[in-house]
Amino acid sequence: MAKAFKYGLKGITGYLEPAERELLRSLIDDVISMLEPADSTSEDPLTALIGLDMDVQEPSDRALRRLLPNVMKNDGAASLEFRQLTERSLRENKIGALRAAALGLDTNELVLSPADARHWSQALNDVRLVLAERLDIRDDADAEHVHTMQDWSQAEDVESYLALVYNFTTWLQESLVQAMLQSMEPRG
Amino acid sequence: MTLSVALGPDTQESTQTGTVTSTDALTAPDIPWNLVIWNDPVNLMSYVSYVFQSYFGYSEPKANKLMMEVHKKGRSIVAHGSKEQVEQHAVAMHGFGLWATVEKATGGGKDGGSGKGKGKRG
Repeated sequence: MAKAFKYGLKGITGYLEPAERELLRSLIDDVISMLEPADSTSEDPLTALIGLDMDVQEPSDRALRRLLPNVMKNDGAASLEFRQLTERSLRENKIGALRAAALGLDTNELVLSPADARHWSQALNDVRLVLAERLDIRDDADAEHVHTMQDWSQAEDVESYLALVYNFTTWLQESLVQAMLQSMEPRG
Repeated sequence: MTLSVALGPDTQESTQTGTVTSTDALTAPDIPWNLVIWNDPVNLMSYVSYVFQSYFGYSEPKANKLMMEVHKKGRSIVAHGSKEQVEQHAVAMHGFGLWATVEKATGGGKDGGSGKGKGKRG
């Protein structure tokens, strides 16, 4: 079983079993593939250089829309304009954090630098946002319902399996963030 | 968790007024904008507070107070500034996975933090 992240002399440390690392790796890969631009081969090199993407649209997938939200609540046109300027680098930033976290999944014993920890917390958060959309978590009551699924022997269909995976990543992120908050406290 | 503190006096701008230079007003009239964080059932309360502390440099009580406001009221204004400033913050918040939008300050709105969002603490 995984151990909760802790803050100590070596920094932030954790422990994951091989099967848990495999699970996280595949979850992270899924999110990376969602975030990678659809056809980067045919694109204008100037577009790539300056990061401006005039072809970008608001994502139709709900999970992707949650990862890359509109910047204005009630102004689709202004949000789209902003998206053209920023979405590409936001995707790259997220992919960078996800890749960095995946790289750390090569050993059971995890020792995270402050930068690693930040990448991990971002990556786990994005993984959870995507899982939550797949699980249709819309409000606190939905979240509470999913949270009651804690027993792996109950995993009898895709939804209950997803719920257990979601709860595992929630637990892992919570322990990581607690360790990060501790590491920020002034000592002595 | 620290729930709330008395409404912070949050001395608006009092220390900054000396540096105002009105002549190089390339950036149009300085209409204030707000950075709004919205509640969602996924983001951990601890994580939201961590983001407010690490990105904006807010104290733990202030970060927790804003986080609880998001949680209970559904949204909170966590920073304000020029349009460009709050847009930059919004992108950073999206990077962290928080649901952030920007909006024109309508005036009179005293809710939320008065933070000017100093940006990354590193």
